[in-house]
Amino acid sequence: MWHITKREIYDNLNSLRFALTTVLLLALMVTNAVRHLREHPKRVQRYRDAVTESLNHLTDRANDSLYTLAQYGPGNFYKKPSPLHFCANGGEPVLPDVVEVDEPPVFRTDAEGNRLLEGIWSLSYPDANLQNKDVGPNVSQVDWAFIIGYILSLIALWFTFDAFSGEREHGTLRLMLANSIPRHTVLIGKFLGALLSISIPFILAVLVNVLLISTANTVHLTTDAWGRLGIIFCLALLYTSLFVALGLLVSARVQQSAVSLMILLLTWVTFVVFMPSTLASIASSFSPATSFEEFWQQRHPSRKDLWDKYKAQLRSSELADRKLRAKSEFYTENAEREERRQEAQLKYRTSQVHRARAITSISPATLLQHLIEGFAGTGFERHLQFVDNTQRYARQLREFVADTDRADPESLHILGVREGMSKKPISPESVPRFEDTLNLSKDFNTAAVELLLLTLFVLVLLSGAYLAFVRVEV
Amino acid sequence: MLKILIRRELLDNLMTFRFAAVLLITLLLVVANTVVLIQDYEQRLKSYNDSVKRHQQELRNSKTYSTAFLFVNRAPNPLSIFNAGLDKRLGNYIGIYHGFMPTLWDARMHGTDNPFIAFFSSIDIVFVFEVILSLMGLIFAYDAIAGERERGTLRLVLAQPIGRGQILLAKYISTMACLLVPLILSLLFALLLLTRSMPLSTADFLRIAGIVLTSFAYLSVFYLIGLLISVATRRTGTALMLAMFIWGFLILVYPNLIRATVSPGGDIQARVKTAQNQIQQILDEYERERQKFLETEEIAGESSEFSKALGFYHQADVNPVTLTTYIENMSVISEIRPDYEKYVPVAKRYYNFVEPLAARTVEKAWRVRKQALEEIYVKQATTDRILLKLSPVGIYDAATQAWTGTDLSGLRDFFYAAQRYRKVVIDYLYAKDAFSSREWFVADKGAVDWRTLPAFTFQRSDVGTNAKRALPDLFLLLICNLVLFMAIVLIFIRSEV
Repeated sequence: MWHITKREIYDNLNSLRFALTTVLLLALMVTNAVRHLREHPKRVQRYRDAVTESLNHLTDRANDSLYTLAQYGPGNFYKKPSPLHFCANGGEPVLPDVVEVDEPPVFRTDAEGNRLLEGIWSLSYPDANLQNKDVGPNVSQVDWAFIIGYILSLIALWFTFDAFSGEREHGTLRLMLANSIPRHTVLIGKFLGALLSISIPFILAVLVNVLLISTANTVHLTTDAWGRLGIIFCLALLYTSLFVALGLLVSARVQQSAVSLMILLLTWVTFVVFMPSTLASIASSFSPATSFEEFWQQRHPSRKDLWDKYKAQLRSSELADRKLRAKSEFYTENAEREERRQEAQLKYRTSQVHRARAITSISPATLLQHLIEGFAGTGFERHLQFVDNTQRYARQLREFVADTDRADPESLHILGVREGMSKKPISPESVPRFEDTLNLSKDFNTAAVELLLLTLFVLVLLSGAYLAFVRVEV
Repeated sequence: MLKILIRRELLDNLMTFRFAAVLLITLLLVVANTVVLIQDYEQRLKSYNDSVKRHQQELRNSKTYSTAFLFVNRAPNPLSIFNAGLDKRLGNYIGIYHGFMPTLWDARMHGTDNPFIAFFSSIDIVFVFEVILSLMGLIFAYDAIAGERERGTLRLVLAQPIGRGQILLAKYISTMACLLVPLILSLLFALLLLTRSMPLSTADFLRIAGIVLTSFAYLSVFYLIGLLISVATRRTGTALMLAMFIWGFLILVYPNLIRATVSPGGDIQARVKTAQNQIQQILDEYERERQKFLETEEIAGESSEFSKALGFYHQADVNPVTLTTYIENMSVISEIRPDYEKYVPVAKRYYNFVEPLAARTVEKAWRVRKQALEEIYVKQATTDRILLKLSPVGIYDAATQAWTGTDLSGLRDFFYAAQRYRKVVIDYLYAKDAFSSREWFVADKGAVDWRTLPAFTFQRSDVGTNAKRALPDLFLLLICNLVLFMAIVLIFIRSEV
C-alpha cells in the first residue's frame, strides 16, 4: 500500500497541477494574512475603545448612586473580536457587535422638565449597522473558510478525477491489478496519495500564513487559539478527504477522465456554489419573521396596556409608600416587557436562521463553513453566545443591585425609585463587570452534530468509491 | 463544405452527455433562483410601499413647516433580479429639507424583517450565468481540437480542401449555437415566471435583451479561451486541467483576491479632516451671519426669552466620518403664549432670513463635500472595478449592472432626482411665502396644508442611457473575443497535425 501511496505522491509532485496548486494556495494564504494583519489591530482597537467607554459609564453611574446604577444600568456591551478572525469572517457585516442598554424611557414630565414617570434600563438587540457606504464591487472575503471550502475542494477534484479513469486510459490499471494487490489496498493507497499530495502545498501555505500572523507583534495568538487552529486544520483535511473520495468514486465509475472531471465539476458547482444560498433562501421564505413594521407597532399597545394596569395606583397620591411601590413595579414590568418583546423577536429570527442552516447542511461546503466559524469564534453561534453572555450579566447586575440595597438597613428596598433605595455610596470596584468570553467546550457541543454529519459524508463516499472500484471491470 | 462541418459539429455536441447535464443544471438553477428572487423582490416592494405610506402619514402629521419630515423612498428595481448590484446594498430612503443635501451616503435603509437572513447571500441570475456559462464554454471547447488530434480525425478533416480558419469558424458557430440553447431556454423560463408576477415594460425587455447580448459575448470569451487551450495543447487531459485551473482562477480567485490586496491608497483620514474643516468654516460663517441678524434685531439682550417663546431648536453640524452637513432650525411649540405674541414679527423676519441662508450654506458645503466623497469612497471603488475587469467576469458584471441600472450611476440617478426634488420643495416654499409665515413655526392659527406640495417622482434612466453605460464594457468583451479568435487562428495555422 505504501508503494502505491508513494508512487502517487511522486507522480503528483512532478506534475503541473502540483506547481499551480502551490502557487495558488500560497498567494491566497499570504493575502489572507496580510489583510488580517492590516485590519485586526483596528478591530481590536475599536473594541477596546468601546469597552472603555462603556466601563466609564458603569463607574460614573456607580459613583453617582446605587439608584443611578439601577436606573441607567451599565453601558453597552460589545462583542470581543476573535483572534482567529482570519479563519472565518462569519458574516461580520450582517451581525451586530453590540447589545445595547436602552436608556430609561420617560413617560411624563411636568412643566419644568422634571420627570414624573420614567422607567429603568432594558437590553435591546439592534440590527447590524447596515448603512453601507461601500460602493465597490461585491466580492467575498478571502478567509480560510473560503480557501478551504471553495479552492481546496476544487483542487481535491483536480487531483483525483483521473485517478482510475486516467490509469485505465493509459492501461496501467491493468498492470497494477495484475499484481497480487487487493483492490481495497489500491483504493486506500490512491486515497492517501491524493490526500497527502494536496496536504503538502496546503500545509506549506498554512505555515506561511500562520508564521506571518504569529510573528507580527500586533496580533497575539494564545494557546487556546493554537488549539483551535489545529482543529480547523484537521477539519480542512476531513473536508478535503470528502472531495478526494468523491473524485475517486466518479473516477472509478466513468470510463473517460474528461467525462469524470466534467461530472465532478458540475457536482461541485451545484453543491458548493449554488446550493447553500439557494436552499437557504427557499427555506427562509417558508417561515417569514415578524415584519419590521409589526414589531414597532407592538410597542404601543403593550405600553397602553401597562398604563391601564397601574393607572389607578399611580394616580392615588395618599400613601407615599404605596405609590412608590407601584412606581417600582411599573418600571420593572415595563423594562421586562420591553426585554421580552425584544427577545421574542430575536428568538424568532434565530429560529428562522437555524432552520435555513439545517437545510443547507446538505451541502458539505456549508457544513465546513459552520464548523470553521464555530471553532474560530465568529459567526452566528458565537453571536448567540455573546447575547447569552450579556443576558447572564444583566441578571447578575440586577441581583447585585438588589443585594446591595438589601444590605442597607436604612433603605426602603423599593428598587428603581430614588426615594426607595439605599443612599449609601458604593465603590465602583465592587460592581461586577461584563466580560465576553469564548468557550471551547461549548463550541464543541454545538459543532458535534455537524462534525458527525461531515464524517458520515466522507464515510459514505469512501465506501461508495470502494464498491465502485471493486466492481469495476478493467 | 462549411455547412457540412457545422452540421456535423452541431450533431456531435447536441447528442452528448455534457449538453444534457449543462442544460439541466442551468435550467434548475435559474428557475429555482428566479422563484426565490421574485419572492425577495415582492417583499422589498412591500417594505417600500409600507415606508411610503408611513412617510406620507408623518408628513400629514407635521403641523408646521419647520418641523416637517419629508422623506423620499427608493423603489426596488425589478431588474435587480438579474443583477442585484448595489440595489439592495445602499440606503433606500432619505430626508428632504432645505438645510440638507440628500446624497447616496446619507440614505438610510428601512428595517428588514430578519437581517440575519442576509447571511445566506442571495444569488442573482447573472451570478448563475457567470459561473455556469464560463464553465459551459470551457467544457465544450477543451477537446474541440485536442480531441480530434488525439482521435486522428483532425488529419482527415484537414485532408479536405478546406481552410483551417473555416474549420475553426465552423466549430465556433456550431458550438455557440448549441450553448445558446441553455442560455435562452433558462432565460425564457425566468421571464415566464417574472411576467406572471410583475409587469415589465418594453424598455425592460430591451434591457433584458442587452443582458442576453452581453451574456452571449461573455460565453463566447470563455469558449474561445477553451479553444485556445485546446489548440495549444496536445492532449485533452492537459487541456481540461489547464482550462479548469484558468476557470478557478478567473472566477473564484482573482475577483476576491484583488479586493483584498488593493488597500485604500492615500491618507483618507487626513482628506476627511481637511474637508471637515472647510465645511466647518462655511458653517461658522453661517453662524456669524445668524448672530449678526439677531443683534440687528435688537433682541440680543432678551434672546433667551425669544428662544423660549419660540421653543427654539437649532443645530448646524458636520459629521466627522461621512461629512454629512445639515442645518436644522425649528420651533417645537404647539402655541404662542399671549405675552410672547410680540415676538411673532421678529420670528417671521428671523426665519425668513435664516432659512434661505441655511439652504445656500449647505449648497456651498456640498460643493466641498462632493469632491471629498468622490476621493474617499468612489475612487477606491472605481479602481477596484477597473482591476476586476482584467477578468471577463468583472466586465460581464459591470456591463449587466449597467443594463439593469443597479450600478453606481444607476443608483446615483435616484439621488440626483432627490436633489432636484429638494430644489422643487424650496421653490414651493418660496412660492407659498412659507419662510415668513406664521405656520413656519407655530400651528395655533391653522396647520400647514401639504396637499399642494408636488409629489416626488423618479423614473429609472431610459434604455438609451443604460446602453450608453453598458456599451464600453460590451465592446471590451467583443474585443476580447476578437483577440482570442485571432490568436487561435494564428496558432492553429502554424500548428502541425
